[in-house]
Amino acid sequence: MSEPRAATSRKVAVQPDFAALASDDRIATAAKSLEANGIRSVIAGSGAEAREIVGGLLPEGAEVFNNTSRTLEAIGVADDIEQSGRYQPLRPRLWRMDRKMQDREIRTLAAAPDYVVGSVHALTEGGSMLIASASGSQLGPLVSGAAHVILVIGGQKIVTDEAAGIRRIYEYCYPLEDARARQAYGVPSGVNNILVINKVIWPGRVTAIIVKERLGF
Amino acid sequence: MSMFDYDARPVTAQVVLVGAPSSRAAYEIRDFLARNGRAFEWVDAGQPDAVQATLGSAHVPASSLPVCLLPDGSQIASATVQTVAAGLGMLAPPSRSDYDLVIIGAGPAGLGAAVNAASEGLSTIMIESVAPGGQAGTTSMIENYLGFPTGISGSELATRAAVQARRFGAELLLARPLADVHGDGDGPGYIATLSDGARVRGRTLLFASGVEWRRLEVADIDELLGAGVYYGAGPSEALACTDSQVVVVGGGNSAGQAVARFSRYAEQVTLLVRGTSLTGSMSQYLIDRLGELPNVEIRLRSRITGFDGGDRLRAVTVSSALDGRPESVPADALFICIGGTPRTDAAAGIGLAMNHAGYLVTGRDSADGPGRNWALAREPMPLETNFPGIFAAGDVRYGSVKRCAAAIGEGSMAVALAHRRLAELDDE
Repeated sequence: MSEPRAATSRKVAVQPDFAALASDDRIATAAKSLEANGIRSVIAGSGAEAREIVGGLLPEGAEVFNNTSRTLEAIGVADDIEQSGRYQPLRPRLWRMDRKMQDREIRTLAAAPDYVVGSVHALTEGGSMLIASASGSQLGPLVSGAAHVILVIGGQKIVTDEAAGIRRIYEYCYPLEDARARQAYGVPSGVNNILVINKVIWPGRVTAIIVKERLGF
Repeated sequence: MSMFDYDARPVTAQVVLVGAPSSRAAYEIRDFLARNGRAFEWVDAGQPDAVQATLGSAHVPASSLPVCLLPDGSQIASATVQTVAAGLGMLAPPSRSDYDLVIIGAGPAGLGAAVNAASEGLSTIMIESVAPGGQAGTTSMIENYLGFPTGISGSELATRAAVQARRFGAELLLARPLADVHGDGDGPGYIATLSDGARVRGRTLLFASGVEWRRLEVADIDELLGAGVYYGAGPSEALACTDSQVVVVGGGNSAGQAVARFSRYAEQVTLLVRGTSLTGSMSQYLIDRLGELPNVEIRLRSRITGFDGGDRLRAVTVSSALDGRPESVPADALFICIGGTPRTDAAAGIGLAMNHAGYLVTGRDSADGPGRNWALAREPMPLETNFPGIFAAGDVRYGSVKRCAAAIGEGSMAVALAHRRLAELDDE
């Protein structure tokens, strides 16, 4: 039996091709495909516009989990969720819990938020989204745990197909995320889990906002 | 590094508090932030590298400590609970001047009343001196609360209840204790004045102010408050107790919960109980739980008679009624969970009837006896004090059952009675 591919740290050079912003036509194609797959899609001209769209989708007082995401940090959505006081942000609430006494509460809250806001690592022209995760904890809410999912996707993340998406994860996202994790947490990252969302069967549950800007990685 | 660190850490800047471990002011701020559910980072002022990384300078004058760094980048020197609360925007004024129901205290009774009152359309405001949850809010795990078969922490119960109350439209004023209550000269109803001078008028008023921890009468104890000696279960201090020697004083459920919490972190936890048994004062499931913990020692018929420490607690002197001999017990932290003293200072001015220990007397009891001023032809309702439309619920009420579920029940019952009083006022 072969080893799983790159579950732990590897020396991989970042492939710059995956950083190129997609054309308006490719973005429109991906957006149309998402709709066909049951995913509401919105195209934003800028990060600022995407931030406004997210603000319009999150009701005042909503319980929100913001996934770790450079995209959300870059456009101010992470600040809006954790600091504005308009919502009930789950991260600060989980962070102050007693890790030994409240383990079950922590797992329950993190697993099923009302809203999860995050990003993806690749979006195919056929409307599939790929998300990699070292711990995997963010994947369950995206698939079914969260009542509502909002994903903000930089326009450079569009790829031709799933195979290209997998390559983007290993050859572009992973080295950058590994460096970030080492700096932020002092531990390496790993492509330990990959989620592929091909279709959503609950209409309106997932909204993807494609931004005509390079955001995150 | 755990999954928790990786997945739940806030991604934006949080509050950072820099202070001396022996600082009482720093402890009060940590306690306030923890009990209000604010994530924060604690930096020991004695660690130059950490201080440098936080404040940009390794040396902070002792007179400026504690220093609080807010998420917006601003710094508060010589920080206090009030200045930190103000800096974090937690001191919102009341949105209106008149309310159907003003609730003093946001513990289980107050929160129970607020959820019920607001959901039934009453304009409702809670006045809370520290944080939602009261004493129950510091409880690590309530395992016998209905509907939570695997238990729920007091802080989580309080957080949920506060969200629920606000969702129905109830307001919550934090970090400002009640200073005074008096009758409204212009008509029925009462004026509540807060410590910052804010005033709200309530057509009815509910005292759900709970109890304070009873002070331990031992010489020099005040010198060590916040520096190893804490009243209550000190939820902000659990991590700091890792591998340390912890002593808890008390025989009730709060003390038992504190022992269960700290035993997860500390090397050794000693519970000192004045009585001859825990049965009767502590729930059996907790007694059983403590009995299973290998690093917990329970000493009955014991009390503290002295302390050993300079700027920080090092040991406590324990005297046993069994042999009378004092013994020094190493203690990095002492948590005092004996209670309580009813919080009724602000109720005294208006003349609310109290028993000899200061608990508010309600129902038929309140109209009896000299000087109790009952003014109406009808009898007081069950939770009504000797002033029509002022109710009491929860631990502050004389004769109450000192349990979380009972307090919540009384809070919701008080709302039904407040409705009757409001109807009475509408008919006048």
